[in-house]
Amino acid sequence: MAPGGALVIGDVVGWLTDPAHWQSTPFDTGILGQLGAHVWFCLIALVIALVISLPLGLWIGHTGKATWLVTVANAVRALPTVGVLVLLVVIIAPNFYGRTNAGYLIPTEIVLVLLAVPPILSNAYAGVQNVSPAVRDAAFGMGMTGPQVLLRVELPNALPLIFSGFRSATLQVIATATIASYVTLGGLGRFIYDGLAQQDYPQMISGGLLVAALALAADLLLALAQRYTVSRGITGRAGRQAGSDSRVAVLNEELASETA
Amino acid sequence: MKTKLIAVAAIATTLTMGLSGCGSSSSSSSSSGSGGTIASKMIFGGPPEFKTRVDGIPGLEKNYGVTFGKYTVTDTGGPVTVNALKRGQVDAVDLFTTDPAIAANDFVILEDPKANFAAQNIVPIVSKDKATPGVRQVLNGIQSKLTTDGLGKMIGEVANAKKDPADVAKGWLTDNSLDTTGSSAKGVSLTVGSANFPENVILANIYAEALKAQGASIQTKLNIGSREKYYPALEKGSLDLFPEYTGTILTYIDKNATATSPADVYAALTKALPANLVALDQADAQDSDAVVVTKATAAKYGLKTIADLAKKG
Amino acid sequence: MIRPLDSASSSPLHFFGYFLDHRSEDLGWLWDHTWLSVVPVVVGLALALPLGWLARRYQWIYPPMMSITGLLYTIPSIALFVLIPPVLGMDPLNPLQVPIALSLYSTALLVRVVADGLGAVSEETVQAATALGYRPVGRFFRVELPIAVPVITAGLRVAIVANVSIVAVAGTIGMDNLGRLFDQGFTLSVSQPYYPPIVLGIVLCVLLALVLDLLVVLVSRMLTPWRRAVPS
Repeated sequence: MAPGGALVIGDVVGWLTDPAHWQSTPFDTGILGQLGAHVWFCLIALVIALVISLPLGLWIGHTGKATWLVTVANAVRALPTVGVLVLLVVIIAPNFYGRTNAGYLIPTEIVLVLLAVPPILSNAYAGVQNVSPAVRDAAFGMGMTGPQVLLRVELPNALPLIFSGFRSATLQVIATATIASYVTLGGLGRFIYDGLAQQDYPQMISGGLLVAALALAADLLLALAQRYTVSRGITGRAGRQAGSDSRVAVLNEELASETA
Repeated sequence: MKTKLIAVAAIATTLTMGLSGCGSSSSSSSSSGSGGTIASKMIFGGPPEFKTRVDGIPGLEKNYGVTFGKYTVTDTGGPVTVNALKRGQVDAVDLFTTDPAIAANDFVILEDPKANFAAQNIVPIVSKDKATPGVRQVLNGIQSKLTTDGLGKMIGEVANAKKDPADVAKGWLTDNSLDTTGSSAKGVSLTVGSANFPENVILANIYAEALKAQGASIQTKLNIGSREKYYPALEKGSLDLFPEYTGTILTYIDKNATATSPADVYAALTKALPANLVALDQADAQDSDAVVVTKATAAKYGLKTIADLAKKG
Repeated sequence: MIRPLDSASSSPLHFFGYFLDHRSEDLGWLWDHTWLSVVPVVVGLALALPLGWLARRYQWIYPPMMSITGLLYTIPSIALFVLIPPVLGMDPLNPLQVPIALSLYSTALLVRVVADGLGAVSEETVQAATALGYRPVGRFFRVELPIAVPVITAGLRVAIVANVSIVAVAGTIGMDNLGRLFDQGFTLSVSQPYYPPIVLGIVLCVLLALVLDLLVVLVSRMLTPWRRAVPS
């Protein structure tokens, strides 16, 4: 019953290259449809998380006020994602009637936003914090106002770390959006859960590969965006220690709080 | 700097719009062929495997000419399916006949005159070398008292009153005077397993408690995930006793099985089982799949049997 | 509120009563969850130490190694649980897939941390140790590694807290751990929400994450007595 390795790889390629699996029918949403749904869930969550946490992180870093918010946001990471999802579904879903999946979509989005906020917030904060006092003083010395310093000096300098945080958030959101299928929503996780239930392992593995491919593609896209938005002066100096990897920034942040 | 940020924002927005268009177009696929039958206007909700199972969507199409307009994956007779039907997310669902939610919500089970769903009588599957006359006697005694209604009541106690499956099992044994202590199973040691839904856990507890009272030494491994996990364990002897359903276990062993009536299914099962496993008596109690609709839907279209879904609406 | 310890109540506050009623099962899952969270981090550290040392010792290895480990980390956990069995020729439902997947993540995360932690050891320190007669291996264990402990600790904390959350995901595909409580609460929420198992699962997961995090910090303190002597 356990499928042999070679056999499975052939079956997976077969499953992925079958055109019927790419198109949607009333009974089966195809790969393109589920990919669209998956990206859509992730974009909603990332945009909401960015709108909440980027300004907040910049403000905390700039003013040095309410730094406990960063600690709270990081403590949120200890929450088990699936548990929070189930809890919210059980609370929210019964309030919706009719042809809508809002009862499942809203809890999923809340969970994804909860996941995305900590890395963006703490990196925006750490990014502004790490701007050297000399640079900041020079900007004030040139007669810039507080908001000007924040937008023209601190924000550009913090961009590499902000990008790291956003990339980390994006990866986590794309990966976690698969558990939306556990509460019956669409997305690429559908193939993983349906494959498991139908004993259709090629489908299940294809689903896994598609999620990984989407995560890689998104990270690559963000890496490109980072290259074109971050000032060359900054990448030249800070590139090495800020690193291109998102988790380093998170680690730096954790380290800062641990050594403090 | 600013222009670059705006450019990124613009790209992001374009992507959003493009992809959202894509997402919504896929979800709004409705009203397909099969010329205006009642079913063609309906969304069906059920577990993923129901889409492909012989007695699932393909069976409904073959036996009744019923083709639903759309299929939404819910869960295996769990809270999502019940609530999707209750709140109008879907119009018809696959539920299990013993589900207390059916009565609680005034749902209507559509009759299955052509026996699309095979018989699903409860049957204990035992390792042959553990099935001593004493063990057989104890278990068959339980089998003769198990009824569909009684099963439904016990599930209700777990699902609604949140009682422990073990306590519910003990209560049922006492009520049916099957909790007598004795020594008919003395000297036999068995590992009892169960799948991870309330009904199966209750049944495993009933078997375990009764055998224990008759002197058997019992170990339990309850709530084992899926059949792909526990059936091999049963075959290899790391589990000795498992509550099963005649139709499901038959089609699991023999994918081409065609029997539908309780007697035929049971006969086919006894032949299909490997030499080291044996099926004891089947109970009257059944827990089979059923196509279920709300009372309002049944009234609106005058639905009594699954065949009615194929009428023009 | 009349019978606060009756688990039949579905109030969220009655999770403790639920725990008392299902102690042995819940503690079993807590234990499963604990070892599933801890063992991968230990395995990950054991693998990351030599790999991180290699990446430092031979500079040309660093970039490709970081790309590979970074790539590993982009694979979502649920996908990895699913992908590991066929790759290793295991049964698709073998429970070992969970610790194997988590060990991969922990290794991927810790290799960079170890390499960067070792990289933070100043050249003067290394030269001084060499001058004192340390051979490369001895220098690694007695000088460079101890100095890198704080950075590695930060990495371990991230890895272990992330593991606690990821293990619960495996509960949704039928593996035994605290994630099963969520599954259980969900199946019993047919007519109305049944909070106790769900809330209990969240509470136990958060407590476990906090305790494990604290343990990592304590062990790190014990390993670096000199850091206490110097007020920062």
